Amino acid sequence: MGSLRNVGVVGLFGYTILFFTFIYLPIVLIVAYSFNADPINMMNWSGFTFDWYRQIFGLKNTVSENALYIESTEQLLNALRNSLTVAAFTTTIATVLGTATALALYRFNFLGKKFYRVLLFAPMLMPDIVLGIALLIFFVGAGVSLGLKTIIAGQCSFLVSYVFIVVSARLAGMDRSLENASADLGADEWTTFRRIILPQAMPGVIGGALLAFIISMDDLVITYFISGVDTQTLPIFIFGMLRRGIKPEINAIATLMLLFSFAVASLGLYFRSRRG
Amino acid sequence: MGEHIVQLERATKAFALPEGGTITALHGIDLDVERNEFLTLLGPSGCGKTTLLHAISGFVQLDAGKVRIDGDDVTERPPHRRPVNTVFQNYALFPHMSVGSNVGYALDIARTDRKERNQRVGSALELVGLGGLENRLPRQLSGGQQQRVALARAIIARPKLLLLDEPLSALDRNLRQAMQIELKTLQAELGISFIFVTHDQEEALTMSDRLAVLNKGLIQQIDTPRTVYDRPTNAFVASFIGASNLFEGTVRRSSASTTVATADGLQIEAACAGGWKPGDGAAATALIRPEQFALAGAGATGPTIEIAIEQVVFTGLTFQIHGHTASGRKIVAIIAAIRRADVAQAEKDGKVRLGYDPAAVHLLPDDAPAANEAVAGVAA
Amino acid sequence: MSTSSLHRRRLAHLGILLGPASGFLAIFFLCPLVIMLVYSFLEPGLYGGAEWVFYPDNYGRILGFANPDFEVYDPVYIAIFLRSLRIALVTVAATLLVCYPAAFQISRLPSRWKNFALFLITLPFFASLIVRLFIWVLILKKTGFANMVLTSLHIVSTPVELIYTEGAIVIGMVYVFIPFMFLPVYASVEKLDWSLVRASQDLGANGFQTFWRVIFPLTLPGVIGGSIIVFIPALGNFIVPAVLGGAKVMMLGNLIEQQFLGARNWPFGAALAMLVMAAVLAILFFYIRFEARRGDDAPVLR
Repeated sequence: MGSLRNVGVVGLFGYTILFFTFIYLPIVLIVAYSFNADPINMMNWSGFTFDWYRQIFGLKNTVSENALYIESTEQLLNALRNSLTVAAFTTTIATVLGTATALALYRFNFLGKKFYRVLLFAPMLMPDIVLGIALLIFFVGAGVSLGLKTIIAGQCSFLVSYVFIVVSARLAGMDRSLENASADLGADEWTTFRRIILPQAMPGVIGGALLAFIISMDDLVITYFISGVDTQTLPIFIFGMLRRGIKPEINAIATLMLLFSFAVASLGLYFRSRRG
Repeated sequence: MGEHIVQLERATKAFALPEGGTITALHGIDLDVERNEFLTLLGPSGCGKTTLLHAISGFVQLDAGKVRIDGDDVTERPPHRRPVNTVFQNYALFPHMSVGSNVGYALDIARTDRKERNQRVGSALELVGLGGLENRLPRQLSGGQQQRVALARAIIARPKLLLLDEPLSALDRNLRQAMQIELKTLQAELGISFIFVTHDQEEALTMSDRLAVLNKGLIQQIDTPRTVYDRPTNAFVASFIGASNLFEGTVRRSSASTTVATADGLQIEAACAGGWKPGDGAAATALIRPEQFALAGAGATGPTIEIAIEQVVFTGLTFQIHGHTASGRKIVAIIAAIRRADVAQAEKDGKVRLGYDPAAVHLLPDDAPAANEAVAGVAA
Repeated sequence: MSTSSLHRRRLAHLGILLGPASGFLAIFFLCPLVIMLVYSFLEPGLYGGAEWVFYPDNYGRILGFANPDFEVYDPVYIAIFLRSLRIALVTVAATLLVCYPAAFQISRLPSRWKNFALFLITLPFFASLIVRLFIWVLILKKTGFANMVLTSLHIVSTPVELIYTEGAIVIGMVYVFIPFMFLPVYASVEKLDWSLVRASQDLGANGFQTFWRVIFPLTLPGVIGGSIIVFIPALGNFIVPAVLGGAKVMMLGNLIEQQFLGARNWPFGAALAMLVMAAVLAILFFYIRFEARRGDDAPVLR
């Protein structure tokens, strides 16, 4: 009986090790192969190199001309610039709108409050592709030329929900009697809002903004439909590269992107744990 | 300027229930709170005591009636413009602010001069025994310390009145008893009125100058703790405060004595010294507190009730004897522990005769319409 | 009078907070959805776009009531729909199987390790989706890591085709959706009162009975919640099949993409998207019914 139990415990432990291996082995692989010198068969280890990193930044061309895989460094940097521009705008807009909505639903009771809750959950539950083509039909029908502006507006339509949910969760955990305490001690509504509600909602707002930023940087499906032919964001650029065949620089780009998103995510989680 | 610090006139408040309908939390309450008194609002949950407190602090807007604080009509004033402060049930300390900022909050709002503010924060914390803890965060303090911070924060702006909403309910028993004494001392030191809400009758009896018992949105009785305990005005008050044996019946009054005859044939004698004096034939309830029973020896002279013993509980100081009369009526008696030999004998016999002093029997008007056909029986 | 001015001020505050977001969502969320719904009933234009004519044949083409003068009913669309449904369901089941035991193990770790494990699980969620899928191309392709391991262990003699199969799509989706399933399941498991498990054992239930009659029903809300948030993006997915299914395994998402960016038959694409929406709404409807029934018990417990 006892030994059977031990087998169960060991089994579950071993399973959990496998679980984490499944999650992280691919990531380790891609990082490792981004330093692999073999340009043809990436799974064949033929020495350590920084060449792929040098190439994506256009610093060096060690392989022969016809092995110049990347379209152009210019295009890559352009996609990165587009992604950052979009993310900066969407993060700002979605954070302001999402936070305002969360505060409104927290502070006030009004007719149609339930409707708003559904409205704000809907974009998250909507399959990406549905929202993507709906926005495409809408923008084309409205005669708006596709580009950065449509990407920003389109992404905000669902990012507002993410911010709203993160901030709402934070507000829901807040003790309502704190507002009463503040009023009791002589603070008017505005002072209570500024000194009690806002500081306490802040970790939620920052968390929501970071989430919006990461999702915006990563969004592929919706952006794919409403970006038009000339505007590429980073995920679309990589998707395009993949569709044309895999080239070793992708490993290096992927590694850099992983590094970047892990850094941002760690920062966010660290921030959250500090504010407790 | 009236002499009362708070006056409520016909205060009425009803809340809509989420499932429809309304519940009346305040039923046209009149209440005058004296200056410098410790008044406790006591009642079961849902009796309206917290609503009453919120009507004074301004978190509840009355449907009808008036609230005056120190003579000023504040009925329409929002909470932040009323000269009262509250100690909240779960303290409601701002978690993102240090202890010092919490305590100094009211002064910061009022833009008090920095030097004076710091000095007052220091002395308020000193007063509650937490001097020097200004820079801690609330979550770094124990429950008892948080309670003191909440207290310091509520008194720093020198309110005319301090409201305390079940502030001790989260503390353990020992700490609670210590805080009860401290609060009473603090109230005397500050020289302002405290209105204290609780559902704990022991707490209410210990601390109050006056005690208001609420039920169903009405003040059932308001008086000193001793009067409320000894002479409750109705059966609700009697059973809410302390344990009680209640005998509903019909008054039989003669020149020699007053008795209450119950439907199951008991005759409870009452001296009717002070308090309500019902006429013959009136419906009334006789109250005998368990501790007013005594073991009746063989030569007992006064009235007695015989019960069959169900259970005897020893609590250290006393024996609680649970039993029933011949007709099945439940009776509780509390007997001092020094009578252990007699109690042991009674336990062996399985029955006991309890004596009581008619002067200690208190008569209550029957609030429930009593359908009693008076049966003249013989109470042993 | 003062109350009514107070009322007006609160209304103004509400308007300031809610107005911009309402306008934004009305224009960029509700409006496009309505237009898409309308579009799915329009006649496809000759060179893309649509004619303003009521045209139910977009749906007829999929569901079998097409007017043969205009459109041809082709069962392939239903087949693709069913395949998408199957892949999505298999993905949900596989993700659940992967996450459920791990959630138990992790919930019983000491709190420092627990937080670290949760951090490790959520971290990949923040990494680029396309990058995470691309890794699996490298692993599954003929000259990839999986075949390398299989051949060197002599499980297979020559490399096998792993990529561009339904299996590859499921693996890719499971990999991408692990956090979606893990977190709700973990939240349920974490809340589980272990004294109930001991009570069940005390009352004579064996391990399996305890699991089936106590543990599983108590963690069911997390299981259902996780299943739904995995199912929804899995059903209409087009990135994973595009990357790991190639042209060989087509799902609804790819079909829709094709109609919009390839065939340029937008009304038909819109009708297909409505089909995805209908499936999602049906699932959500049942979920809300389930939640409401569960909610009925709550007041009793309180």
